[in-house]
Amino acid sequence: MRNFNNRYQNILTLIGRLILGGVLLVAGGLKAFKPAESANAVAAYKILPTQLAHIAGYALPWLEIAIGLLLIIGVSLRLATIVAGGIMLLFVASIISVWARGLLIDCGCFGGGGAIDPALAATVHRTYFIEIMRDLGLAFIALYLYFFPYGLFSIEKQAAPIEER
Amino acid sequence: MAKQAKATQGGDHFTRWLVIGMVALVVVTGVVFSVTSSKTKAEASFTALKGYTLGAEVKGTVDVAQGSGLVLNPGAPIKIDLWEDPQCPVCRLFEEANGAYIDDLVRTKKATVVFHVLSFLGDDSVRASNAAMCAADEGRYLDFHKALYIVQPPLENSGFFNGPNLIKIGSYVGLKSKSFTDCVSKGSKLAVVQAQTDAMQKYNVRGTPTVFINDKLWVRKSGTFDVNEFRLAVEAG
Repeated sequence: MRNFNNRYQNILTLIGRLILGGVLLVAGGLKAFKPAESANAVAAYKILPTQLAHIAGYALPWLEIAIGLLLIIGVSLRLATIVAGGIMLLFVASIISVWARGLLIDCGCFGGGGAIDPALAATVHRTYFIEIMRDLGLAFIALYLYFFPYGLFSIEKQAAPIEER
Repeated sequence: MAKQAKATQGGDHFTRWLVIGMVALVVVTGVVFSVTSSKTKAEASFTALKGYTLGAEVKGTVDVAQGSGLVLNPGAPIKIDLWEDPQCPVCRLFEEANGAYIDDLVRTKKATVVFHVLSFLGDDSVRASNAAMCAADEGRYLDFHKALYIVQPPLENSGFFNGPNLIKIGSYVGLKSKSFTDCVSKGSKLAVVQAQTDAMQKYNVRGTPTVFINDKLWVRKSGTFDVNEFRLAVEAG
């Protein structure tokens, strides 16, 4: 396992950066120019007071875009992975909170969002589960990237390995 | 791992702060852009009301026996119950497709229409519904209701449906009397508004728009609202 990682870490890190960064960039890009929709989606979670939720809904897409770009081009990778991992855990916690309170909403992850017809409860609960698993997977990628941030095609490079000299 | 951890050190603090600053700049710019674009859009929506042509006044009564709904033109052979929230975007689509037809049914006395003006989407809905019931007192429910959907902001509970804006909306549809403005700013109809939303449970209404034709639930079959489909359903009774 360790050997495998030593050997392919360069590529694994690149793949991880592209997946995590790509998802963030797409998710942010789809929402950034539909601010009202995004603000409504955050408000539908009923976690923050409405006005604050709107601001969060305006800010979130742009944060996702910025972090996604950092991950893809490979700048300030540690910082980007911490923020990306934090965002994912926040999403997981929010969906669990919504589920626990019995609210039926569309997560608005890639645009859309808002309340859903109660008749669709079963489908919504399955969707919640899939979303939680997906975000946990992405959080795991962020964790891996935190420990191995430097790989192929990255602007930020590893400093010369001192101990090998 | 040790190798990786050592990677960047020393003079790199500058880069880190630069990146944090840039990310913050992007996010703040995005927020400012979004806030201003939403505000401008909401303000611009008033211009859509310019030149609104008023219909004749239609008096309505609130009937406690019908979930405190506003009954227009009672006693007609067909009865339509509409459950709507002024902030609900799908209700706006329903109104855009079928609103003119329903107005016509009321004005030509072909159908009794009971409006249940709900407010479960939040405080903006409560204020808008209150104003709508104030308009009903002046015989202008149909016009005000239409105007509400014309200006409906895409962002829910933004505070756009506040006293001054609702009075302004009213001024475009012939509501300039002191009794209307007082009713809006004092929230004189809040009890009725609350009673209408409370009635949802009793009638098993779980979302909006919900439509009953002669007390039978109507569900659209096509993907969008289509006035021909709705007309056929109404004529079938």
